[in-house]
Amino acid sequence: MTDERDKGGASLADLRKLHNQIPRWILVLLALCVAAVIVSRITQLLITLMAAAFIAYILNSVINAIERLGIKRTVAVSLLFAFVAVFVILADLVFIPNINQEIMDVYAKFPEFSRQIQNALLSTAQSNAEKHPIIGSSIMKLVDAVFGPSGFLERTLNASEIFTKAESLVMALILVPFFAFFLLKDWPGVMKRVMGWIPPSYVETSISVIEEINILVGKYLRGLAADCFVIGALASAGLWLTGINYPITLGILSGVANIIPYFGPVIGCTASSLVALMQYRSLDPLLNVVVLYLCIKLMDDFVIQPLLIGKGVHLHPMLLVITLIMGESLFGIMGMILGVPVVTAALKTVGILLEHHRDELSRESTGSLIKTHLVKSLVRPV
Amino acid sequence: MIIEIVRRYFPWALDTTRESYLQTLSKVPLFKGMGKNLLRKLLVDLVEKKYTAGDIIFHEGEIGKAVYFVLEGSVKLIKRSNSENKTLHVLEPGSHFGELSLIGHTARFATAVAEKDSLLLIMYRSYFDDLIRDNNAISTKMLMNIAETLSNYIYHNEPESNAQKISP
Repeated sequence: MTDERDKGGASLADLRKLHNQIPRWILVLLALCVAAVIVSRITQLLITLMAAAFIAYILNSVINAIERLGIKRTVAVSLLFAFVAVFVILADLVFIPNINQEIMDVYAKFPEFSRQIQNALLSTAQSNAEKHPIIGSSIMKLVDAVFGPSGFLERTLNASEIFTKAESLVMALILVPFFAFFLLKDWPGVMKRVMGWIPPSYVETSISVIEEINILVGKYLRGLAADCFVIGALASAGLWLTGINYPITLGILSGVANIIPYFGPVIGCTASSLVALMQYRSLDPLLNVVVLYLCIKLMDDFVIQPLLIGKGVHLHPMLLVITLIMGESLFGIMGMILGVPVVTAALKTVGILLEHHRDELSRESTGSLIKTHLVKSLVRPV
Repeated sequence: MIIEIVRRYFPWALDTTRESYLQTLSKVPLFKGMGKNLLRKLLVDLVEKKYTAGDIIFHEGEIGKAVYFVLEGSVKLIKRSNSENKTLHVLEPGSHFGELSLIGHTARFATAVAEKDSLLLIMYRSYFDDLIRDNNAISTKMLMNIAETLSNYIYHNEPESNAQKISP
């Protein structure tokens, strides 16, 4: 019995010794690996939570504005949700049927479009096969990669089938507003509790982290939502003016796709170009569409984004692309959208913590010097 | 207007706790001459933290990053001089401390300790920067209030002879 206790004691001491020997970064790395495994297992739930957090974040400024009138937060959140519900019902009755009609139209004609594009490409490949065999074989490869069995189109359609499964859609429609409601209502309470747990010496650093992230992510997400809307409206108007079919659907697609840095504008432009190609069967309207999207992209980069989002969220292009690829592989589209602010916020947090650490070190080394001047002093300021 | 309608017809919808803190906050010297709308905004935006009696809020010599407003309880400012602690001041609800951190990366002048269980409202420097950048009127008033606090402080702590020299 005593031997066993001794053994236990020894092993515990060994463990403590081992814990002291292992560098802290290895423990952090291990914890991150465990977190990554857990995250990969509950992706669906996390995507729902991320969507709810995104909506809650956007609506939080409205709730704060109501609260500033002296109204309770619970009442403010309930009022806003009632208002949104009424708006959605009215929109469903008034605006949605037109958009719905357009989307259904596109959806019904999609197989025919796809066949026409395939035939056009194949005939081009055949006509070029003798003169330029390389071009001919490249086009054939492209057709195979996009339209062939297990090609891009089939995989995309399968993915969209999964997404539009009635069950998961209904769950998302219920769960996202449900989570968003409680996130909005209880967030200050959660913050108060978290603040209660933080030791007094870390309060200022914690607040600085919260404040900086709040400013950064808030600006980014609200700016992104506004940017999305403006780009969608511009694309719709531009396509309507150039006489391209389905301007509203293509505008919505362009606006939503624009959230994804770099790839988004290409997706919107490609979809609109395909519609233009099928509609007119000539290259002139296609050129109009490309010029239109180029103009929108330039306006977005030099006017709209600096105005709406600012330069707060800035990642190095290489880091940005790595973030997008990792975000997509972990959480799909939501990962691509939220990856950028999450990584920027993480970098900012590390920066603030390092600054805190530096301050601590400088305080330790110069502590005695600080006291010397104005020792006489008094009450305030401190 | 809206608040009056709510107060009259839907009193249950009003946040009474926050309204009582509003009264306390309006006494803070830093907010002298500020409208209630700004104070309400601060109560919504800023972080509240409860301290139990004896908790050290910050240490003398630390680099300050935030200003504190006392909503409940009381806070003692202690200065270490010649290896003994001297209580400089006891701050009651409606007081503020740590305002030098809003101006620059200055070290804390004294140690702040919660004398009783206290509720403090904390304003981080970047929030203050945003606040004064976005609104000229608030910026002028607040900076004037800080200047007034500093000048009062200098005036009342100069040697008697100097005070007489500069007084009219």
